[in-house]
Parts: sequence; C-alpha cells; structure tokens
Amino acid sequence: MLALLTLLVITFVLFVLIRIMPGNPFPIEKMTPEMILHKRAELGLDEPILIQFANYMSMLLHGSFGYGTSLYNGAPIKPILLICLENSAKIGGLSILFGTFAGLLLGITAALNRGKFLDGFCTIVSILGVCVPSYVFMIFLQYFFSFKIPFFPYFFDPSQFLFSSIMPALSLSMFAVSTVARFTRNEMVEVMNSDYVKLAESKGLYGFELLRKHVLRNAMIPVVTVIAPLVVGLLTGAMVLEKIYGINGIGKLMVDAIAGDGIDYNYVLALGILYSAMYIVVMLVLDIIYGILDPRISIAKEN
Amino acid sequence: MALILTTACGRNTDDKVLRVMLGSNVVSLDTSQAVDVSSFEVINDCMEGLLQILPNGQIIPGIAESYEVSPDGKTYTFHLRDAKWSNGDPVTADDFVFAWRRHCALANMYAFIMGKGVACIKNADDVMQGADPSTLGVAAPDPKTFIVELTAPVPFFPSLMAFPSFFPINEKFYNSLEKDTYGMTPDTYLYNGAFVITSYLPGSPNIQLKKNPLYWDAENVTLEDLHYQVVGSSDNALTAFRNKSLNLVTINGNQVEYVKNDPQLEKNLTVTLRGSLSYISFNQDPKNHHAGALANVNLRLAISNSIDRESLVKNYVMNGAEATYTVVPREFGPNAETGKFFSEDQDAYKNYVGHNPDKAKEYLAAAKSELGKDKIELLFTYANDSGDMTVKVVQAIKSQVERNLPGLTITLQPVTKAEYLSKVYNDDYDITLTNWMADYNDPMGFLMLWTTESCEVAEYWSNAEYDRLINECTTGSLVANYNARWQAMHDAEKIMMQEAVIAPLYTGASAMLLSENVSGIEFYTAGLVCVYKHAVVKKLED
Repeated sequence: MLALLTLLVITFVLFVLIRIMPGNPFPIEKMTPEMILHKRAELGLDEPILIQFANYMSMLLHGSFGYGTSLYNGAPIKPILLICLENSAKIGGLSILFGTFAGLLLGITAALNRGKFLDGFCTIVSILGVCVPSYVFMIFLQYFFSFKIPFFPYFFDPSQFLFSSIMPALSLSMFAVSTVARFTRNEMVEVMNSDYVKLAESKGLYGFELLRKHVLRNAMIPVVTVIAPLVVGLLTGAMVLEKIYGINGIGKLMVDAIAGDGIDYNYVLALGILYSAMYIVVMLVLDIIYGILDPRISIAKEN
Repeated sequence: MALILTTACGRNTDDKVLRVMLGSNVVSLDTSQAVDVSSFEVINDCMEGLLQILPNGQIIPGIAESYEVSPDGKTYTFHLRDAKWSNGDPVTADDFVFAWRRHCALANMYAFIMGKGVACIKNADDVMQGADPSTLGVAAPDPKTFIVELTAPVPFFPSLMAFPSFFPINEKFYNSLEKDTYGMTPDTYLYNGAFVITSYLPGSPNIQLKKNPLYWDAENVTLEDLHYQVVGSSDNALTAFRNKSLNLVTINGNQVEYVKNDPQLEKNLTVTLRGSLSYISFNQDPKNHHAGALANVNLRLAISNSIDRESLVKNYVMNGAEATYTVVPREFGPNAETGKFFSEDQDAYKNYVGHNPDKAKEYLAAAKSELGKDKIELLFTYANDSGDMTVKVVQAIKSQVERNLPGLTITLQPVTKAEYLSKVYNDDYDITLTNWMADYNDPMGFLMLWTTESCEVAEYWSNAEYDRLINECTTGSLVANYNARWQAMHDAEKIMMQEAVIAPLYTGASAMLLSENVSGIEFYTAGLVCVYKHAVVKKLED
C-alpha cells in the first residue's frame, strides 16, 4: 500500500517536473503553428495540469503508457518499452550473476587472506571497479578484444545475443564486483572476529562448515543490502554503455527521449515510473530475503 | 592466447554483405511519419515510388514505366509497370491513391510536401485541414494508370516522385494489420523495392535487409545483404571502419584531418557536398526584447562581412564543407537546360557578403549612428548537444565578429536541442546558427523559407517584392516559363543578399570512409544520401 502511494507521489512529481522543463514535447522544426496547436490539443497539453495528470493516471490504470510525443513519431510506448526492457534486463541479469559471484569470491578470498598479498590484490581490484565507470571498461574491452584482437563483435549483434552480451555484461558488472567484494570482505572480517565464531571454533568447528554456517550467513545481511540497489541499476541499463555498444535498451531509450529534437514527455514518464517501480519491488524483495537470512528480523518486525 | 583468438575471430568479411553506419535512429518506416535522413534512407532501400532519380538529377522510371504531362503542366498521367509487392500482390495505382490520401489526411510533418508551394496537388491543403481525403486530386481509372492533378505546374514534380512521402502502401495489407502496428516490425511492412527488411524493431541500432527477389528490377541488384548499424559517436565509427566491422562510415572534421595523415585510410575517404546550407539567422523582430537592433540592415551587413568563411571551413568544420556566399548552397539545383548549378557564381553578391573587415566596420558605424547606440550586445543561441563542430563554429564566429567589429559583443547561450528549437520557434533569440537541407533539388527548396507566410524559419523578415517574386514562381505567371522563373529566383536571392536577411556560411558536406572492396554506391546531394542497390562487395583477401 505504502509502495503504491510512493509510486503515485513519484509519478506526480515527475509529471510536473517534465512539464516545467524548457523545450517542447515534439520536434517543432518543420511544423506549422496550426499543426503545433493541433498536436498540443491532441496531447491535452492545454488543460490544467491536474486534469492532465488525472487523464494520465486513468490511462496508466487501463494498462497503457500511451503514445510517444516525439520519439518514433508517436508510436505506442508499451511494445517498444518491453523490447528495450528485455534487452537491458538480460544484459543486466548476466552482469548481476557475474558481479555477485565474482564479488563474493573476491571478498571471501580477501577476508581469508587478510593482510596478505591476495587481500591487497582484491582491494586494488575493488577500488578500480568503483572508480572507473562501466563505459570506460567497455571502451577498453572494445578496443582490445574486438579491435586489436577481433574476437568479439564490435557492435552489439542481436542475432548472437549471448556472445555479444559478454563484453557489456562484464563492464557493467565491474561496479557490482567491487562493491560486493568490499562489503563481503569487511563483514567477514568483522564476523570472524566476533565471539560466536570464536566459540564455534573452540567447539571444534572449522573450515568450510564454519564458513557456511556461521560466517557467511551473518556476513550476508549487509551484502544483500548493497546488492539490491545494484540490481536495479544494472537491470535498468547503462545509458552511455548502451549508446556506444549499440544496445537497444532502456538506458539508450532514456537518452533518446531526453536528447532528441523534442523531449518525449511520455517516454520519460514511463521510464521514470518503471525505474521507481523496480526500485520499490526490489526493496520489497530485499525485506523478504532479510527474513530468510536472519529470522530475528521478521520476528522483531511483528512485535 | 592471442593466436587462438585470432583464428577464431568473427571478422566481418563474408561475401556480399554491405555494412553501413547510420548516424541516428530510424524514426519510423511509415512514409507519413518518417522525418529524418535515416528513415528516408532505409525506406528508400525497400520501397520504390513512381519514378527514380539519379545522383546527377536525371529522372528514370520506377514503378511507373512512363508518364505524360498535359500541355498546361497540371495533369500527370503515370503508366505503371507489372511490379509486385513482397507478398506477391501487384503494385497498383490504388496503392498510390491510398498512400497519398492517407499522407495528406494524417497531416504529419511531411504533409506539406504535397501541398501549396511544393507538389501543389489539387485539394491537398484542404485535406490537411480536415476535408474528405477522397477529394484529393489523385485518381486510379484502372489498376495501371495513376493520374495526379495539380493546382499549378511544378517544374520539379517528377523529381518529387522519388521522395519517400510519395511512395505507395498496399491498402489490403495495411487494413489487415492491427492499429498502430504498420511498419513496427519486418512482418508488418510490405516492400516493393530492391530490398526487404529481415530484422528491425523501433529504436534498434541494428537493421538488416536482404535482396527482394520479387523486385521488378531484381536482376540488376547485385547486393545480397545490407546491414545498418546506428553508431552514436564518430570515434566509434572510425574504429569500427578500421576494424572492418563497417564498410561505410561518416566521420567528423577532426577525423578527416587524421585520415588525411594516414595514407592507408586516405584512399578510402569520399567527400560529398550535401546540398545543405549553414547560415546565421538574424532575428529581425522589432518587438523582441534586445534584438530590435537586428532589424537594422547595416548591422546585419556588418556581421555578414566580418566573417571569414574560408577559415571557418578550413579550421573548424574541416569535413569538406565549402564556404558559401549565396542563399542557395553550392552544387544544388541544377538548371534543366544548361545543367549549371543555381549558385555556380559565388561572386555574384560579393558587394554584400564576404570577408571584408573594412567594409564591415563602415556598416557598423552606419548601424551605430542609425540606432543611436555605441555598444551593441547580442545573444548567440545554439544547441550544445548537436556536436563538437557546432560549438567550435559558434565560438569562431564570436571571436571573428568581435575582433572585426569593436563595440559589438556576442554572448554565447548554449541550450539543449529541444530548448533551442523552442526558442527559435518563439523568436526568443538574437542570432543563431541554422542548418537547412532541402528535400528536393530545386532552388525553391531554400527560397521558399523566407516568404512572409513561411513559418519554418523565423527570421521575422518580410518584403513585398520578395513575396511577389516567389509567388510568381510557384503559382503565378512564371511557373510555365522555365528561364524567366530561374531569373526571378535569382532576383529574389539578390534581395535577400542586399538586405543580409541571413549570413550564409557554408555548404555542408559529408565525409565518408568507404572500403576499397565496395563499389557502385550512389551518393546524392539532396533528398537521399546513398542508394545501395547497385553496390558490389568483393571478397576481401586478407
């Protein structure tokens, strides 16, 4: 319920903000004044803003995002949005899988080898991952692995989806790898120094069993917290990366909607709502995962 | 490792595939919604109109085998050949009737091309205003005959038939589709041209086409596959070309310099003038808050004479664009009788435009005394997201003008493209950089813009004599007299230059890199960019 209310508020704020922005919702270069008036009337832009908003909400409730105002010349938004979302989600999903897996591995290795060479190596990797934006990685990979050594396709090729997703997914995952690695390492170091782990050790529990039952489970809670927003970030795509590699995803769609000859009101809104909805859903899922990882959390909430 | 990778590599050298860069997304495959170069290019690959045009402006038959013009020049009768749609249906005159009526009735951005001043089809403007589409002056007495009635003779009407807005749509197929799905996927589109689309989605950066076996002239189409890739940045384009991922890319001015220093790449460079004009628009609206000054002709002449256009194209544009001193760009609008371009003589108006700092100062002094001001401040509004080159050109103009005209200050105002368009539309600017490209190869494609009733470019200038000359050429007594019309257009251009309504800067060019194993691509100066159906891709020997 609260989630829906949040979404409503976000939609309203977005709705008002985009109408205040300078610029027109359609490319007016080749339009006559009559055509512009006609188009404004057609889009209902001359009505009071609250009525416009009510109309928009009723359209949303009927399961439609409406029509674009400038992008793809007024084609309906939903099918295009779905295509783009699918592409972004697939590549984002790949990078989440890789990012979490590699991040955990790196973090655990570092924690187990605290203060040694491997720890330092993992730290450097995570700092690099946080500092260097994904599209820089992308350009780097593109240069070395499709220009210098022409192995991967230079542009995204939908006919070999998985093969050409490897480079963008890898570059996108760098941030996730380093964030997950950093948190995992810190949390594990803390948990390993805690009394209950020392107790378990003194009871004769060691090795993988100790790691799985006591260390990882406790260390995972903060890690899950950081993964959640990363999931949204990755699923929603990367604007620059999609543009340079030519992926038809929602990041690129957002850029096109804002930076075209007109600002496409309805695309920007639809994407804004989509981003927010995904964020809210992920946060909900997160709460549920907390409960599984640590039953105390859900008990505490009930009380 | 590197060795293994190289042998396994997927280098794009397979036979007969041409890989071409598109500079921007295809907006729509629907001929009445397409507004951009990319859409027109792809539509033109897979659709064909009544007639076709060659790069030199010569008209050749398309879907129409032949046509006749009535003695008064107002009725065109086209005789269609036995062409087929890609589903096997014959292409009939009714398909043209349907598409043209639809185009007018939808009244989208390119509907104007059917109406007054351009194609002049009977009742086109009424249909755009909401009249019954069946009143449009087109008819199909039998499936192989298509008749168009015009309100005035239009000398360039046949050349318009090659423009996508005049292409047909198969009515039966269109009606069998769900609403809003026409042209959204390869299956909801029907083809009568040299290629069919095999892979396309709105906004997709990859578009793949293959040869259409049912195209009437298929035996002369050598190319089997044509793949488009939308490339966002020109740096990426150059690397993709060197990587052999693309056979044809467009590069920017800086890269042209780089390419010229590389003997290997230099032989791939092709520069074509594009029949587009970049010019400075002066907002002459006296009511505009601080632009009132620009209503003064001497001030406009001063600015126009203080700009070194040769230096602009050589040092800032750098992609082969050519300095221009006329309203109609270079190598545009060939005269049907002499074959000479309209603006062949670039010195024609040298008294009014050019790089003459001394004369500019005299004009400025005159302007200052007429305006009663010693300091003049102007705002230069431009779109900062339309590329590195625009920014460089704008800055160069500012420094040249301020150096040559003491007392005149130009403040730069960078805004987003959407905001820029809206400012120009609302007359909320002083001076700005405009780039105009005509859709058809006739001087009128430019001269039409400055009539009082034209709303496309907002210089807010009005001149009765100019309006009269243009009207004579489009609907008045001169329409049927080719040479008199040509002269009147020159007279009109002269008025504009005398009054410095705009300051023309340069004729745009596109610098492209083309693989040496590709030949037969036709490059156009107006309307279309490239036509690929006669392209030949030879196998590369690594």
